[in-house]
Order: sequence, then C-alpha cells, then structure tokens
Amino acid sequence: MDFAWSDQQRELLDAVGRFASQQLNYDVIENDRDGVFNHDAWKKCGDFGIQGLLVPTEYGGFGQDPLTTVAALERLGYACKDNGLLFSINAHMWTAVIPLVYNGTEAQKKKYLPGLCNGSLIGGNAMSEPNSGSDAFALATTAIKKDSRYVLNGSKIFVTNGPIADLLVVFATVDKTRGPDGITAFLVEKDSPGMNVARKLEKMGVRTSPMAEVFFENCEVPEENLLGKEGGGAFLFTRSMTWERGCILASAVGAMQRLLETCIRYANERKQAGQSIGKFQLVATKIVDMKLRVESSRHMLYHCAWLSSHRKSVYLEAAMTKLHISDCWVKCCEDAIQIHGGYGYMTEYEVERELRDAIGSKLYSGTSEIQRNIIASLLGL
Amino acid sequence: MKVLVPFKSVPDPNDATVAGAAASMPKSVINPFDEIAIEEALRIRERGEAAEIVGVTIGASAVDEQIRAALAMGVDRAIRIDDSRALDPYAVARILRALIEKEAPHVVIMGKQAVDDDSNQVGQMLAGLLGWPQATFVSKIEFLDNKTRARCTRETDAGLEVVAIELPAIITTDLRLNEPRYVSLPGLMKARRKPIEILSCDQLRVTVRPLTTTLSTSRPPKRAAGTRVDSVEELMAKLRGEAKVL
Repeated sequence: MDFAWSDQQRELLDAVGRFASQQLNYDVIENDRDGVFNHDAWKKCGDFGIQGLLVPTEYGGFGQDPLTTVAALERLGYACKDNGLLFSINAHMWTAVIPLVYNGTEAQKKKYLPGLCNGSLIGGNAMSEPNSGSDAFALATTAIKKDSRYVLNGSKIFVTNGPIADLLVVFATVDKTRGPDGITAFLVEKDSPGMNVARKLEKMGVRTSPMAEVFFENCEVPEENLLGKEGGGAFLFTRSMTWERGCILASAVGAMQRLLETCIRYANERKQAGQSIGKFQLVATKIVDMKLRVESSRHMLYHCAWLSSHRKSVYLEAAMTKLHISDCWVKCCEDAIQIHGGYGYMTEYEVERELRDAIGSKLYSGTSEIQRNIIASLLGL
Repeated sequence: MKVLVPFKSVPDPNDATVAGAAASMPKSVINPFDEIAIEEALRIRERGEAAEIVGVTIGASAVDEQIRAALAMGVDRAIRIDDSRALDPYAVARILRALIEKEAPHVVIMGKQAVDDDSNQVGQMLAGLLGWPQATFVSKIEFLDNKTRARCTRETDAGLEVVAIELPAIITTDLRLNEPRYVSLPGLMKARRKPIEILSCDQLRVTVRPLTTTLSTSRPPKRAAGTRVDSVEELMAKLRGEAKVL
C-alpha cells in the first residue's frame, strides 16, 4: 500500500493551493452576509481547471482520476475560505457534470462539457420537491412526450445554483405508475420557456452559494435533451449521488485542516492565567480530537476515491465517508468556536461562519439519517 | 526576439504552516521577483514582441519542481545548470554569462534580488561581465526602434527614472512591474511536454568557486517589549529624550 503522491500529483496539489489562497479569498465575510455569489472566483476556478478535473480531455477537461480530484478539492477547501463557492462547484461537478460524462450523448457532451469545464457555464440539478426529499423517487414533476418534445410540469425546491445555473439536470416522471422506473432526467437550459426560477432561498450557511425554487409550467424540452434513457433517471441520480457523497466533503476535510491550524495558532498565542491556553488540557484535548477527526476523515475520503479510481463500487463507502466527514466537520467547528471563546462567536474571526457552513453537510446529498439507513441495509439489517 | 529569464528557488515566503499540524517540509517556490520577470517575459511574448522564452536556473534535481512551475506559467523551455553547491552572486553571474554566450538572447530579464539572501548583485555583475547595458529595479519595459532599444522605468529612492538602453541588455524587475499569473491545470498539462535541458558547469566550460563563505546565520533578535506611558507629555519626552526621533 503506497500512501505517497506522485510528483505530478504533488505539483497539481501545490498549484491548487497557491491559486486558491491567492485568488479566491476576498470579500468572503461581506458576500456571506449579503448572500452574494462570487462570479469572478467561479470563472477563475474554471480557467484554473477545477470544474474540469474529472472530465476527459476530449471534452475540455483534465482527465484526472477520482483520488487526485478529491485531493485537489481538499486542497481547494484548505486554501479557499468561501465554502459557498466550493459548495456550488461541488453541486455543479457531481450533479451536472458527472451525469453528462456518464450518460450524455456525444452531441450533449460536445455541446455542454467544454463550457461546464472552463467556467463559462454553471450547472446544477433539480430533484427535491416540496413533498419529496429523502424519499426522492416519490417526485411529482411530470414529463409528457408530445411529438419531438417533452412537456414538464411541477415544482422543485432547494435547487443549488438555481438562480445562476445555465443548465439544470431536471428529474421528472414520464409515468407515475411506474414508480422509480418512470423517473427520467432532462437537460434544461436557463430561460427555457415555461421554466421559472423563483425566489432565492435565504439560508443559514453556505450563503454565497445561491439556492432557489424552480417551477415548470408546460416547459417544453426538445427530445435531444433527454439525458440517458426514458426511465433511467433513478439509476442516473443514484450514481450521481454516490459520486457526490464520496467527494462533496473533500473540501470540508481541507476546511477542517485549516480550522485545526487556526486553533493551534490561537491556543499558542492566547494567554490566560499566565500560560498559553493550549497548555490547559481541556483545550489540548479538543485540538487532539480535531486532529483525529481530520485524519480519519481524510483516510475515508482517500480510500473511497481510491476504490473509485480502481472502478470498484463505493455505494457503502461513499455513504460512510459522507456521514463521517459531515459529523467531524460540525464537531470541529463547534470545538473551534469553543477554543476561541467569545472571539469565535464574532463574525470577523471567521470561525462562526464555518459552523454555519458545516451544518448543511448533515442534510444535503441525503441526511445523516438516510446515510445510516443505507449503511444499515448494506450491513444486512 | 529571444528572452532569457534566470530564476532561483527560494523557501516559500508565504508558507505559514503551523509546526506539527501538517507533516510537510517548508516548500520551495520561484523567487517572487523572478516570477515577476517570468510574467513580464510572457506578456512581451503575448504582445508579439518575443518569439521564445528560455528559463534558466541553477541547482540539483530538487529545483525541477520550480522549473516545471515556470514552464506551466508559459516559459517555452528550460535549462537547469546542475550544481548543488551554495554559490555566491559572482559565481552565479559567471555561470549565467557562460550560458548567455551560448544561448545569445536579445534580452535577459530577472528579479532584482532573491528573497532568501537579498544580495541584489547578480544582475549588475552579469551586465558587467558581459559588457551589456543594464536597467535595474524596473517597473515598466517598452521596446523601441524595432526592438534594438528598450525604455525602462526604474524605481529609485528619489522617484521614477526613465532610461533607454541598447539591446542586448540585462533588466532586473521591481515589485510593481506586474502581478504574476498563477499556474493553472492547463498550464501544468502543457508543461509536462516541454523540454528541460540539463547542463553542467563543465559543459559550459566555466569553473566557479565562491568568493564568499557564509560563516554563520542567526535569527534576528526578538523585539523587546514596549513600555506604556501615562500621558502625551511623557510620550513626547521619551520620543525626544530616549528615542531621539523628534
């Protein structure tokens, strides 16, 4: 078992770190307060090559394997403090880019992937509905075939990147009686007649990543925008979610490492009762626990990605990775605030924002409870 | 026009890794002033005034990482002079002279100094050894008269000085010349196909022996703690009497 990076991987990771620390960390507090998405930073990430990490080179990507990709995203999360930007990038990669790479026709890939890689297009998906969240396949949005078009009707909620997306992967059923086998994915471009991106949703964390409700009212989608097969949506969604669960918290591992270093620095500098607070065992214990969480998260992240790189199924590992890292991330943030005391509660110290950003990780891509259900069922329960 | 950019690997001045938190050695990077020189060369090429940019550095294979970073920024090809000794500015200048005589560039652009030893001598010595004109601490470069001359704006203590120099020449860069681009993934992919030539001092037929020896290095003394004053009057008295700054 070899835990070393190759020279080429190391160069890539260093380049990501340098790029992100120098180019992406401005106006983060203000953008968080105002709920503003940083378009320039998105474009810079596209120019740098983040969005195209996994995409084959013939479609404008860089053909990196899953392990190198999650390591790059981890480095990005370490060096970039804008968790919302990274959340948007993740949504884009796992719910729009990956389904296209796997299920897109040659024409669809040629049309959309280069733009999705270079930052000129923003993608996302629309799955959750007001009455179907964890029970995703109970969705009610319908797609009725009419000549060479599908007509979509229904409403979607919690659509990450909704207000800014150029392309959404929309899930609808062509036949409700078929249950999951009726679910079908469509590529819907922004400004399609009948598609309305409604109000932007205000939320607790990752506030720089915009989210919206999206309504479809007789929205006509040309049949060439069918993604995968009719009725193939559930499988496509499951694959996309497995990728997302395995990879979406790579940047969180980087964020935890950054928090750990921030806390070590603070614990050494801050003096109370005549000594550094790091000398108090109750503080030191918290930092040791943070270190353990970072390391165990990193190992699960890499192992899951390594399995993917070797084309092994990761349905179980992805669920465990997502569950474990999200737990660790939230706990690290709580500890970081506690170590910083009152200062940690203040916006300008940029620790409280981490906690607000972290909490969503126990909800998106399947709640922690759903991950436990998946794991339990795979354990034969 | 061929532009030659010598650059040096230095410990990363921005590396703020907390001891114990990350199991990593201090990283090396391209000397920031040399990075500005590389960026300027790239901009000169992008506006159609240069056809080729050659990057040069001196060191053992450990510096290949910085070479690839330079290639990833956009340098066309690179040369590493394989020498792992601690060289002083005069030795570096003599090696570079030998290489420049072989490569015959139209202009050499390099950082005004390296941030590790702050010597600020190689560019000037190189110009002297070659008998070429030099413009140091440059914050703006324009080529004139069919690229036979360059007009350079220099940053001096007294203000900006504009000089015209005949080419070939040595230009050393100051901080405000430009802001270097970052290495991107497309750049890294292209860099893997670019050639790195490795030469020895023997191949260049140059024998160098450092003229200076570093006897010791030490950290700067810790800053003494400040004192509190109770009144403006006391502050003024201390500034006048003790610090003698007023």
